Order: sequence, then structure tokens, then C-alpha cells
Amino acid sequence: MSQKDGFYSVYEVFSKKTDKSPLQHQFSLLAPNEEMALIMARENFFRREPVADIWVAKRDDIRMTTQEEREMLKRLNNKEYRETRGYGYLKKKWRNYQQEQFTEQSLLSNSKGGKE
Amino acid sequence: MTIEKSFDQLTEEEKYEHFLNRIDAGEKIEPKDWMPDDYRQSLIRLISMHGISEIMGALPEKEWVPKAPSLHRKLAIMAKVQDEMGHGQLLLRVAEDLMEPLGMNREDIMQNLFSGKLKFHNVFHMKAPTWGDAGIIAWLVDGAAIISQSMMLDSSYGPYARALKRICAEEVFHAQHGESIIMALAEGTPEQRELLQDALNRWWTALLMFFGPKSKENASTSHVDKNIRYKIREKTNEELRQEFFTKYVPRIWSLGLTIPDETIHFDEEQGLWVYQDPDWNEFKEIVTGNGPQSKERLELRKISYDSNAWVREALNPTSKAV
Repeated sequence: MSQKDGFYSVYEVFSKKTDKSPLQHQFSLLAPNEEMALIMARENFFRREPVADIWVAKRDDIRMTTQEEREMLKRLNNKEYRETRGYGYLKKKWRNYQQEQFTEQSLLSNSKGGKE
Repeated sequence: MTIEKSFDQLTEEEKYEHFLNRIDAGEKIEPKDWMPDDYRQSLIRLISMHGISEIMGALPEKEWVPKAPSLHRKLAIMAKVQDEMGHGQLLLRVAEDLMEPLGMNREDIMQNLFSGKLKFHNVFHMKAPTWGDAGIIAWLVDGAAIISQSMMLDSSYGPYARALKRICAEEVFHAQHGESIIMALAEGTPEQRELLQDALNRWWTALLMFFGPKSKENASTSHVDKNIRYKIREKTNEELRQEFFTKYVPRIWSLGLTIPDETIHFDEEQGLWVYQDPDWNEFKEIVTGNGPQSKERLELRKISYDSNAWVREALNPTSKAV
């Protein structure tokens, strides 16, 4: 009576702390079916912590990366053209025109109109 | 730009070197990653022992659930027992993933426990005859457990570090639950103080043993050095025991309790606690299943496993209809 004869499967547990939180991986557990996996997830991981939603997924159904693939992920470090730090030189440029470069915050906040 | 060989093309020696570089850089090793055999073996030994100790550790306290002195105490100790079983669930899961390539799983862990091949912590072989024991277990045994577990929070094995993070957060509740019990007894009637002192006397040796032998000569097996190199743990047994003394001896004394070791004191010159070593042969006897309560606890675990077999049977979609 074990994984060997197909009784238990490994389930991965994900949860959201509040409605606004991103889904987060919690841990894994052994369960004979997904209903039991949900019950076990509540018992094992949310005896105290607040939780807004719980997902369980059979590990076999999740495509995870291999070590080889994860080694490849590390090499992607030349992405400045996609990031604000690739555009830091604009700060000096704008100064030449007596203007401040917009910060990330000022770009994302709605203009209130009128003069400050 | 250098063109590196892809990981799969590395030789075994190169993989070993790559592995050491990873753990030295603070990276975490994940279950399906390449790892040396002795690293896997060390982790299986450590984590299956830790996991099964959580489960066996619930048993001495479980005895106190029906006998707790108030409803509040009953709820609190029930929550602690449930936490311990939950910690066991987390840790056995970590051990199982490590055992999978060897064709082993939870069933093997349980069978190894029943056959005596898999040991559990010395403290859980001891009797807990009074409510004072329940207090000392939660205060000092859990206090000792926090010391040895928190040194592994940054363990090189990712799943173990993550499990310990969850576990340590709950251990804080356990320690305070214990403080609450012993404080009530320490501030109680003379009989209650005596109850507490007796419990401390009973548990002192077991607490010293908890961290394991100091020197290699006393240890049946010494994996400490290797585990430190592999960044599974950070400190030696003796370093942990000294931390325990620094943390708890002054508190024990502050309550007017007596430690059953007249020699214990802090030696300023050495910067170390000097104390009476426990009998390490007795320790070996206890952890090999010959402690005062070893047989009873194992039997209880086995009864529970057997009497719940019908639940596993009922839930098994592949089992034949009777």
C-alpha cells in the first residue's frame, strides 16, 4: 500500500494568502486523490496562516525544468535594454534641458493636472 | 564570451566540482539535481530520522492531552501534538524525494522504524509521568530542537531548508507554550514546584544527550564533519550544547530550580560551560531501542499504523472490492 502500487501520489500545494496575493508554492504532500490532497493541504500548511485560496496539482502533471535547463536560465544576464537601468544616461540629458527625468513612480502615477 | 560545456556533458568529477561550487556560492540543491551519493545518503539518514522523531515525539505529549489540567491547556497541547505530526509529514516528504531514485518510499521508512533500523531521538524514548514533564518537554526539548534546527535553516538542500523554515516558525509557539506551563508551576504551590524540579531532574541527562556525543570516539558514527562541508549543518554537537547552556541555564537558575549537576558552571577563561558528561553508552542503549519507553512507543505507533490500514484500503482506487 504505497506509491509503488499507485496508492499515493505526490501533490504540489499552492496558495494565495489574500485575494490580491500572487499564487505561491507551499510544499508537497502525499495523498491518494485530489480531494484528500486538498484536505491534507489545509491540515498541513494552514493550521495558523490565513489563506484565501488553495490549489493542488499532481506533481506528474507539472512540467518542471531539468538541471540542464536551469543552468541555461542563469546565463540570461544581458537584458539592460529591457530594464530602466539601461536608460540611466537620460537623467543627465534631461538636466541639459532643465528637466528632471521621470522616475518609475512619477511615470506610473496619474497626472493631477494643473501646476504643482 | 566563453562557450561552456552544457551540464549534461560534464564528467562525474566535473559534476562533483560543479556541485561543490554551487553549495559554496550559497545555491540550493533541489531533489532532481545531480548530487554525490554520500550527500544523498547523509540527507536521507538525517531527514528520515528527524521526520520520524517528530512523529514519535508527539507520543509522550499525546499522553497528556486527556489529562491536561484545564481546557485551555488541553487545546494548546493538542495543537502542539498536531504540529509535530505536521512536521513529520513535511520531513518525510523531503526524505521520500531523496529516496525515490533508490526505489524506496514512506512504506520503507515506516518498516525501518518498526524493525529498529531507523532510529529516533533519544528524548522520545523517555517517560513523561507528570504534567511537569509536559512542561519541560515543550520548554527545553523544543528549546534544544530550535537550536539544532535553526542552524540548518540555510542548509544547502533546498527542500530541507524550506521545511525547517515552516517548522521553526511553529516551534516558537511550542517554546512559549512550554514556558507558560513551567511558569505556572514555578509560581505555584510547593507541591507544584517540586513536580517541576522532579521533571527537570528526570530530563537533564536526556537534554545533554539530545545534541549527540562531543567527540568522535563517543559517536557510533560521525557524519558531522562531512555534513558541515556539505553545508547541511553549520555547527558541531558540542557547539550546539554550549549554546543551549548559555540560553537556558541562567533561566533555569532564575526560577530557583536546581540543575542535577553540581559541577556545571561557566568557565570564563575557556569561555565554555563545564559540565558532567552523560554516559554515552547509555545513550547508545537508548537510541538503539532499549530506552525506558522505547518498546511501548514503537508498539503504539505500530498499532496506530495497523488499525488505520482499513482507511488506506478504503481510499485505494486499485484495491479489489470485498
